[in-house]
This record gives sequence, structure tokens and C-alpha cells, in this order.
Amino acid sequence: MHISILQAILIGLVYYLGANGTPWFTVNLGWAFRRPLLQGVAVGIILGDPVKGCIVGAAINATYLAQITAGGAQTMDEGLAGCVGTALAIISGTSAQVAVSLAVPISLLGNLVWMIYMTGDIAIVHAMDKVVNTGDVKKIVLWNIIPSQIFKMILYVTPVAIAVFSGADVITGMLDSLKGTPVIDCLTTIGTILPALGIAMNFKAILSNTGNRAYLYFLLGFVLYTYMNLPLLVIGLLAVIMAFLQKSEAIAE
Amino acid sequence: MSEKKSLTKKDLVKSYLIWTFFSHCMYNYERMQAPGVVHAIAPSLAKLYGEHTEEMKDACKRHMEFFNTEPNIGGCIIGMTLALEEQKANGENIDPEMISSVKTGLMGPLAGVGDTIWQGTLSPIALGIILGMAQEGNLFAPVLYLIIIGVVLYGLGYWSFMKGYYGGREGITKIISGGLINAVTEKATVVGATVLGGLAASYVTVSSGMVLHLSSGDLNVQTSVLDSIFKGMLPLGITLLTVGLLKKKMNVNVILCILIAIGIVGTLIGFF
Repeated sequence: MHISILQAILIGLVYYLGANGTPWFTVNLGWAFRRPLLQGVAVGIILGDPVKGCIVGAAINATYLAQITAGGAQTMDEGLAGCVGTALAIISGTSAQVAVSLAVPISLLGNLVWMIYMTGDIAIVHAMDKVVNTGDVKKIVLWNIIPSQIFKMILYVTPVAIAVFSGADVITGMLDSLKGTPVIDCLTTIGTILPALGIAMNFKAILSNTGNRAYLYFLLGFVLYTYMNLPLLVIGLLAVIMAFLQKSEAIAE
Repeated sequence: MSEKKSLTKKDLVKSYLIWTFFSHCMYNYERMQAPGVVHAIAPSLAKLYGEHTEEMKDACKRHMEFFNTEPNIGGCIIGMTLALEEQKANGENIDPEMISSVKTGLMGPLAGVGDTIWQGTLSPIALGIILGMAQEGNLFAPVLYLIIIGVVLYGLGYWSFMKGYYGGREGITKIISGGLINAVTEKATVVGATVLGGLAASYVTVSSGMVLHLSSGDLNVQTSVLDSIFKGMLPLGITLLTVGLLKKKMNVNVILCILIAIGIVGTLIGFF
């Protein structure tokens, strides 16, 4: 499949709009838009195949299911993984599983973009210090929005647009030449393992809140799914019930 | 004595909206959300102190200091700041140092609670439920996700912001010391841990494809050996291994490489 320059730029904009610190969808929906699922759908719409975008985005999203970015520290850029991963998968016509493995190294590159952004903004803060000292509301508003967003838009759109415009041929050629080798099998297996990382990271954050008791709940959820095939919504509901039962116990004590 | 200066509900809503849109607009390593704070409260400050006055300049300057929290639950800090600035503008004896210490004292704990509830529990549950739909190409799934996140977070954020303003410092301190926050966090972690277990079982799908050719016939490692011991042994093992490595404070990128290596080696020796 061929991709136009306009499409490449629009895909870059999708990444920018979901980036942490873009105000246009508010901090809440912007954060939601950063999920690879949403990025995938948006990229799919641009490339004319929203359903495949949704499928690939969901597969990539499984790796970042339980991602936590706390204190401005970003471990993996899931927005970039979802956006570029889906674009490459649709353009090269590869499977969702392979797209997952392609997306992970991309998300690590995203950390570089993040660090440049967070560092670059420091210069703007120093300029804003002078503006703040005038006590002028309009100037404060403009300085909070305009310079950093221009900086950010250039920083986020450019690499993505270039990568999907020029990278698609490279990836397609690479995947074609790899057909029949174990590489594709390896990539597919990796795709089935990697969701463990995001889940484990989130679980570790929970462990520091509740201590080792959390392992028991984790095991319970695991068994409920594997042996009883309960839907996740039901498991969540049972967990809520348990959480409240536990409180009544505490009161009884 | 001049007339009492007070903020209207409209001012507060405006401030909340600015905060929700622009809190991370100039996020940076040196002061994090500070420019967002100044932006959100500047229109209200101008109403209290008058634009370009010395008090206004001082107020803006003191809010340009380091600030970082979770913007929804932490929104009450901004509400509270406005309440304190309002009292100060009306001549009450409020030390600027005190306003700063209220902000810095609350931003950490509230960020912890907010991140646990939102990123730690709500989003994984919502995603866990709808990703199955989405993987079948159901375009209603992403819309549903936006609705869940939107309704809960805007609700929580608005409630917290107004609670901060009307409840004031005493109100918030009461909530924190009253154990409500702890209770909510504890419940959220019970639900979170259980659901994460379910998620691990449904999304970590690694399995063995190995078939041993024995004299007694073929032996499928996954169905005849692993499943008969414990279904989902491999996914559980890999997830717990990852948790263990994280607890050893190993770098996330190193762990990622280890997982990739396990996948490659396992595939090449024919185990997966």
C-alpha cells in the first residue's frame, strides 16, 4: 500500500494529539487518546481501514494494558508504539502479532522524544518567569500555551511523518525477505509474552500499597479466568464485592 | 475597610476547566506543572488582587514553584489554593509560605492515590474488558473506553476541585486523616490485583508448541504435561518472574530485553 505525504503528516498529528502535555482533548481524554487502541483507530481512519486499525491497535495495547506513568517518568511511549506500529502494519499488510513486536522497540525510541520535550520546555519556563513577574493574565495564558505547543508539534509530528512515509517500504521489504525464517515465529512468540511486563509493572505498584497479600488476589483473578472462564467484567465485579466484604470484617474486629 | 472580594462559582468552573485542559501544557523537568497552575489561577488572582498590582505579581511568582500531582484527585489542591488566596486578598493573615507548604505537602500523597485509582485500577479494568471486543474489530470498543474514562475522570476531577475550594484546608485534611483515602486506596488495590490476575491469564497467551515423539506415541507438552499440572503455568510463571525482577529494582529496559530473549531462545529450541 502506498501512503501520501498528507497521510504521513496526519498520522504524526495523531501522535501529537495523544502526547502527554497536549491540551486539546483535555488531560483526561488526551490521556485516553494515547492508548494504542485509540491511536490505532485514528491511524486506521486516516489510512482508510479503521477496523484493521482497531484490531492492530488493540493487539499492541495489550502490551501496555496496565501502563503507569507517575511523576512525569515515562517508561515506554505507548502512543508512539500504537501510532507507528499500526501504520506500519496496515501499510505492509502484516499480522497484528508481528506488529506488536515491531511496536515495542519503537516505544523505547519514544522515550527520547519525551526527554527532549521535558528538557526543552525548561528554557520556555525561564522565559515565562519574566512574563509572570508582570502579572499580566493574557501574557501568562499565551506563554503557557503557544511556545511549548509549537515546539511540541514540530518535535512529535516530524519523526513520525518521516518514519511512516519512508519506513513503510523498508518494513515491507524486510518482512517479505523474512518469510519462512524463524524470525516471524520469534516475533509472534514475543508478542504473547510482552503483555506480562505492563501487568507486572502495575502489579508491583499495587504491591507497594498492600504488601504480599496482593499475590493472593492476583492468583485468584488468574484462576477465575483460566479455570472458570469468567469474563473480566465478572472478575472485576467479584473483586469489588470482596473488597467491600473485607471492610465489614475490619469493622467487626 | 474595602468590600469583600470573593470568587464566584463561574470563576471556579473557569479555573477548573483551564486546569483540566492546560495543566500539562508546559510540562517540564524543572518545575513540572507550575506554569499550568499559574495559568489556571491567574484569571481568579487578577479578580482578587487586580491585574498588574504588586500583590498579583507576588502571587504569580510564588505559584511558579515546582508543582506535580495527579491532575484530577490533585485538583482539590488548586481549589484550596484559590480559597487561601481569596482569604489573603481579604486581608486575613495568611503567610505565603503556608500556601506553598499546603501545596507541596498534598501534591505527593494525592498523586499516589490518584494514580492508583485511575491508571492502576480503572484503566486496566476498562481496557481488559473492551480489548477483547476491539481485537474482533468492534469499533464501539474505543468509543466505550473514551466514555468510561471521560465520565469517571471529569466527575472525579470536578468534585475534587470544588471540594478543595469549599472544604478548604480543614476539609481536605479531615478527608485524609479520616482514613477515607486509605480505605479507597485499599479497595482499589484489592480490585486492581484481582483484575490484573485475570488480565495476565487472558492477555499473556504464551504456550508451548513442543511435541515429543516418544516410543509410546506423540506427547504434546502443552496439553498433556503443562495443562495437567496447572493451566496457564507459563503465563503465570512469566508474569511472576517479571514482578520478581521489578522488585529487584532491575531497569525496565533490561527486563524487556530478558523477556524478548526468552521468546527468541524458546522459539529457536522449539519450546514455544
